[in-house]
Amino acid sequence: MQSHAAELFFKSESSYRMLVESSSDIIYSRDKAGCFTYVSPAWTKNLGQLPSQVIGHTIGEFVHPEDQPACRKLLDGAVQVGQTGEYTFRFRQLDGTWRWHISRETPHIDGNGVMAVVGIAHDVTERHRIQSIMALTEKMVMVSGLAAGMAHEINNPLGAIMQHAQNIERRVSMDIPANVQAAEEVGVDLSLVRDYLEKRSIFSFIGHIRGAGVRASEIISQMLSFSSRGETGIATVDLSKLLDKVVVLAATDYEMKKQYGFRTLEIVREFAAEPLYADIASPEIERVLLNLMKNAAQAMAAPEMTREPRLTLRTRADEGMVVIEIEDSGPGMDETTCLRVFEPFYTTREVGNGAGLGLSVAYNVITGMHRGYIEVSSRPGEGSCFTIKLPVRGTL
Amino acid sequence: MITNSSITVLVVDDDEMIRECVAAYLEDEGFTVFTAESSEKGLESVTSVHPHVCITDMRLPGINGDQFIIRAHQLYSGTRYLLHTGMLYSLSDELRLIGMTADDVLLKPIHDLSKLVARIRYLATDGGHHAVG
Ligand SMILES: Nc1ncnc2c1ncn2[C@@H]1O[C@H](COP(=O)(O)OP(=O)(O)OP(=O)(O)O)[C@@H](O)[C@H]1O
Ligand SMILES: [Mg+2]
Repeated sequence: MQSHAAELFFKSESSYRMLVESSSDIIYSRDKAGCFTYVSPAWTKNLGQLPSQVIGHTIGEFVHPEDQPACRKLLDGAVQVGQTGEYTFRFRQLDGTWRWHISRETPHIDGNGVMAVVGIAHDVTERHRIQSIMALTEKMVMVSGLAAGMAHEINNPLGAIMQHAQNIERRVSMDIPANVQAAEEVGVDLSLVRDYLEKRSIFSFIGHIRGAGVRASEIISQMLSFSSRGETGIATVDLSKLLDKVVVLAATDYEMKKQYGFRTLEIVREFAAEPLYADIASPEIERVLLNLMKNAAQAMAAPEMTREPRLTLRTRADEGMVVIEIEDSGPGMDETTCLRVFEPFYTTREVGNGAGLGLSVAYNVITGMHRGYIEVSSRPGEGSCFTIKLPVRGTL
Repeated sequence: MITNSSITVLVVDDDEMIRECVAAYLEDEGFTVFTAESSEKGLESVTSVHPHVCITDMRLPGINGDQFIIRAHQLYSGTRYLLHTGMLYSLSDELRLIGMTADDVLLKPIHDLSKLVARIRYLATDGGHHAVG
């Protein structure tokens, strides 16, 4: 069956070796307990560790904590000799980040009658990334459709709640002659009525009604912005000026001032030497930058902060794109959080402190509306850095 | 100083709740307020009352708020308009031609009606084509 040439090829061990060593997939063998006995050079290319750092160690040492149960199953010998099992794992890279792999393993009995396992691990990190982006986009399309319908039904009642709360405040005001007169007609003194309302905190309750209404309407407006296509149009904007403007906006925001001490943050500007311009929908990008700065301020107000709170703003040019970076010295995020931050409604904050919409709005404005990129790099204890890339000649 | 009572405001909205809260607030501020629950009634009021300012909802049964403004303007050109809308809305050229700007689009829900008062006074006085006399 085989041609003569092939027979010759496979007779030489060096040819086998070449096949294994030039494979871009990782080829490995391990013993029954999971200890590596061989890894091909693709391991070092893909993950960084040298063979000497891998051989003799168990597979579990390289597998992501969340994938450990699947890993144990594999070591428990779920697959019979001669059959092939397939597993999806994250393997640790030398720098501590993770790469998704699909491993196909086949146990066999070697020459000494001992069971050994041969495996091939194929890197699917990129495929995984694209799939999760697609899932994210789908989720956002759903949310925006829902929001549009909901906004229409909810805005009027919400308006009535806030506005009538304001009407109640007005109707017990001494400034309006009709109020004083109506009080007289029923035989009460309006100023005493006010004293009572004050004493029983009713004015502050009314204030809370208005505040709650504002919060609810902000959530709806963030959700609605998923479907917004930049109605305000595109304009050429100087990015450092834009960042400075948003810093001022952030500094005057009530919550940012009171709760997160935005004004006491050290702000470092590392702007490109030359002014950088880009064609963008300015109000939308402002909102994105504000959301990012708000998150940074919230992170740096955390009690576990050990380092000095510092917000670093950077701009630079990069091959037809402009880059904006917003970095904080806060507590950072673990890997699971990093993967999920752009998901609508993903939040780690307490109820009432965040809807989990800030970054999904950012994602939508940057990737959907402007066809740019937004990424996060962060590690626990090392702060977080959000990088935005936008086309210089942007269109909506 | 022009007093609020010499300024006439028409509120057009099919939602009674919104008509009521806006009208109550504006009345407390001393404006002379009329309401209409449909675009037809709104057109009648514009021609009979000649309001200085008309606040109209965008979604009205029958014709939309922006179409309502254009028709009403043809019937009487002295009224200035505010468009109350639940969705982001960019002004059409026709509305720009009759002098409306982005500041005349009010996004629902209005958090603070005192802002509305300032806008009405601006439109009815120096910001308007005609001053209240
Ligand atoms: N700079 C940061 N440092 C640490 N964690 C962050 C940072 N930015 C975002 N996060 C994490 O990402 C989550 C999602 O952020 P996002 O802005 O989308 O929502 P939120 O801030 O929780 O709520 P909202 O923005 O709607 O008020 C946060 O709850 C937080 O856990
Ligand atoms: Mg946020």
